[in-house]
Amino acid sequence: VNSEPTTLLQETWDLLILKSLIVGEMHGWGISRRTQQIAGTTFVVKPGSLFPALHRMEEEGWISCFWGSLGTQPLREILPLDQGWTEATGSRSQAMRAHFLGYCAGFGSFVERCSVCRSL
Amino acid sequence: MPLFVKLRSLLRNLFLSRRVEVDLDREVHAHLELLTDENIRAGMSPKEAQRTARVELGGVEQVKEQVREKQMGNWLHSVMSDCRYGARQFRRNLGFTLVAVFTLALGIGANTAIFSVINSVLLRPLPYHDPDDLVMLWESNSQHVNSHNTVSPPNFLDWQSRNSVFSSMSFIFDERDNLTGNGDPEEVVVQDVSTNFFSLLGVNPLLGPGFTPENGQPGHDNVVIFSYGLWKERFAGDPSIVGKSVLLNGHPQTVVGVTPQNFDWFIKDGSLTGAKPQMWSPFLFPQAFHDHKQMGRFMSVAARLKPGVTHWQAQIEMSTIAARLEQEDPDFNGHWGVNVVSLRDQISGDLRPALLILFGAVAFVLLIACANVSSLLLARAGSREREMAIRTAMGASRWRIARQLLIESLLLALIGGGSGVALAVWGTNTLLTASPQNLLDLRAVSMDLRVLLFAVAATLLAGLLFGFLPSYISAHSRISETLKEAGRGSSSASRRAFARNAFVVAQLGLALVLLTGSGLLIRSFVRLIGVDPGFDTAHLLTFKIALPRSKYSTDQLRAAFFQQLLSRISTVPGVRSATMESFPPLTGLGAATDVRLLSQRSVARSDLPVANVRVVGPDYFGTMSIPLRAGRLFNTQELAAEKHVTIINQAFADKYLHGVNPLGQKAVIYMKSDAEAENQPSEIIGVVGDVHQLGLDTAPEPTVYWPHSELVMSGMTILARASNNPLALLSTIRNQLQQLDPELPMAAVATMDQLLADSLSRSRFTMLLLGIFAMVALMLAAVGIYGLIAYSVTQRTQELGIRIALGAQRRDVLRLVLKQGTRLTLLGVAIGVLAALALSRVLGTLLFGVSATDPLTFAGVAGLLAIVALLACFIPARRATRVDPMIALRYE
Repeated sequence: VNSEPTTLLQETWDLLILKSLIVGEMHGWGISRRTQQIAGTTFVVKPGSLFPALHRMEEEGWISCFWGSLGTQPLREILPLDQGWTEATGSRSQAMRAHFLGYCAGFGSFVERCSVCRSL
Repeated sequence: MPLFVKLRSLLRNLFLSRRVEVDLDREVHAHLELLTDENIRAGMSPKEAQRTARVELGGVEQVKEQVREKQMGNWLHSVMSDCRYGARQFRRNLGFTLVAVFTLALGIGANTAIFSVINSVLLRPLPYHDPDDLVMLWESNSQHVNSHNTVSPPNFLDWQSRNSVFSSMSFIFDERDNLTGNGDPEEVVVQDVSTNFFSLLGVNPLLGPGFTPENGQPGHDNVVIFSYGLWKERFAGDPSIVGKSVLLNGHPQTVVGVTPQNFDWFIKDGSLTGAKPQMWSPFLFPQAFHDHKQMGRFMSVAARLKPGVTHWQAQIEMSTIAARLEQEDPDFNGHWGVNVVSLRDQISGDLRPALLILFGAVAFVLLIACANVSSLLLARAGSREREMAIRTAMGASRWRIARQLLIESLLLALIGGGSGVALAVWGTNTLLTASPQNLLDLRAVSMDLRVLLFAVAATLLAGLLFGFLPSYISAHSRISETLKEAGRGSSSASRRAFARNAFVVAQLGLALVLLTGSGLLIRSFVRLIGVDPGFDTAHLLTFKIALPRSKYSTDQLRAAFFQQLLSRISTVPGVRSATMESFPPLTGLGAATDVRLLSQRSVARSDLPVANVRVVGPDYFGTMSIPLRAGRLFNTQELAAEKHVTIINQAFADKYLHGVNPLGQKAVIYMKSDAEAENQPSEIIGVVGDVHQLGLDTAPEPTVYWPHSELVMSGMTILARASNNPLALLSTIRNQLQQLDPELPMAAVATMDQLLADSLSRSRFTMLLLGIFAMVALMLAAVGIYGLIAYSVTQRTQELGIRIALGAQRRDVLRLVLKQGTRLTLLGVAIGVLAALALSRVLGTLLFGVSATDPLTFAGVAGLLAIVALLACFIPARRATRVDPMIALRYE
């Protein structure tokens, strides 16, 4: 298996999470729902891959987490840090977007319907 | 900032792992509950809602594991868990672990021990200021073998005034003097030096001001500096010693200093006493030296290079100066040049070849040990192949598998290395107690940071070395094959078998090289102890007496003292006869000079033949059992008074007289003075057999003997032949001496057999160590081939069972198994012989009377290795013949 699409997907995944944070989501739960909406049929967003990504981004210093609550349910609240903003809007994300568009175009038929491409 | 965040996360993951886990658990569960709630709101039953939520999440534990993998420090965590896993593996396979650790401990321990000696002898800086700038200057004569000849005082003065490469230059010569007053009389070794000696070395005294330039003025030179040892022993470390007065040869001397504890200056070349100094005293050149009148060569010279001047520049300039001196005084300086030797080479130069060879030998031992452990790991990898295949199938990457195996190897290496260092500490101590005192300085060898770093490096290198191949092969095995064929006959299994065979061949080859080296040294040693010293060494007591010139001021007094002493010793019951000699044989000490044979045409002084001069007492040749070959021995009149007669040895007659009858010939022996007129020719009255005066490995040199009456020396070695153990007579003889002069100490008491053993000590020590390493190598190689054959017998149990069931005889099975061992052994021996042929010449100077390619040694060690290897194969081969076909066939 070629590893390039995998890392590409992972980085796109990071970008999607950051984008949804910037829009104003605060909980893993919301991020998961939001990214699933965006991803639509392009790829399946499993909560199982959300947590590792969130942890990695926290350790990278892109986001910060602390315990808050949603109603009675204790939940981790997530805030994007400066580094996260830079990552989401900076030149690296521009390059990544171009890259992903190229990758997405490879799938052909549904490229015009790809919500990921549109939201990136 | 990101770095700080990362670091904080890493520390949190490592040290607050429990809290991180709890947070993770709560987070994932919260998510699960939200999912479940959503599903319930969508109208599912609670049970179904929960199930769907779990499916959507992908399993609580799996999600947590995925997060853990992404966590910072996860790498460290997994390395730790690999270590724990490895440790569990080792505990479970205790036999394997013990063998591997022991093997590695031997290899790494031997390397560390030898390296600690090399470190202290060859690497550690000498205890002087900028020691790399210090050199020794020797005279060297193109017609003599000795390139480290002592220096004449006038030449020293000329070198000093004419050179531009040295910032300072000091002379040193040593003598034994009597230290009296404050306690028993004691003979001490005193180095007479120029006053700049300590400042040249950059060493400040522990106590006192030391020598000042003023001490170089006449009348101010009655000062001494004590060695730390003498100060501690004789003066109990008296802190107020400086300024006190001691009696040296009856003359008062003021103590102006004590050297630091680690200070030492002992250069064996050029030493007249052959012993370490205990005291230093300034020496003033008499006017005769300045006037070029005293021409003897007897001093050692140390010098410090000016900053930026290289050793070679100094050598070139000194050679130029020597050439000019040769032109100015061809009689005295003809053929003489200057040899500049760095202090490091001077001190350790003659130990270097032996040490480097031993270092090479232990490196070989470590290689053999690594091959053994690697082979063990390969065998174990065969049985763990399924485990690895399953891990791969479960998603472990090649790197992950290789890493785990490498970590296990490194862990093994670390345990082995740790035990090895412990072994080395113990081994070094044993080494030093076993090593002759005159070979290694006991205090100097110790573990330091450099040795520990070396041990760590050797350990890691060994771990990578023996771990690489097994982990590489395991990581590159094809799992489908493994799972299908249960690990047998797979491509990785055959690669492993090939590697193990190659290891065994390499081990046998390396072991053969070591065995050859040690075989050659043993043969040399046997040759050496087979050398007839030329006299009888049994039951011979030797000790030195040095008469102080103040008390025994005339030749008559000195001669009378020795005569009385010898006659008193002769009367001691148990003493068969007693005599004396200027230098004890076999200690490398002696004095040589030019000899002019009157019958031969006159040549320049510098072209004259050179001979050792030995001054002997009455009945010397009888007491020593040196045979008379021609002529007669000294008679009573000649022993009593100067009659100008001499006895030569066979080597002198052979080398200088070429078959001409030596008896009655006259020879001028330039020993008493350099002036021609003061040297009366001596008549040769006899020829005696050769004696290996300088040591068994040195050919007897042309020697002339004079009776003591001819040259009344004040320092003589007394030789007493006893009918039994001579040391038992020591106290009686000492009594006799004290009755004669209670102030005279007995120095350098030894039996001739001890002196003989000492003279062989270096050869014996090198031979012994190399022998031990070769034996270890042989043992490891034997274990290696044994392991291989035993393993292959186990693997082939089924096949052997079928063969036996089909009617194969015990003999056939034995032959079958032995064939594999024999092939490997022959290959190993062949490669080893070739390698040994290429390498044995490095032994060079360590060999005596044996060529580096001695066929007998090669054949012998090849035979020994082959026999041991085949015996090692024979044990599993015999087990193979006992295979019960029923059990073997039921096996699978």
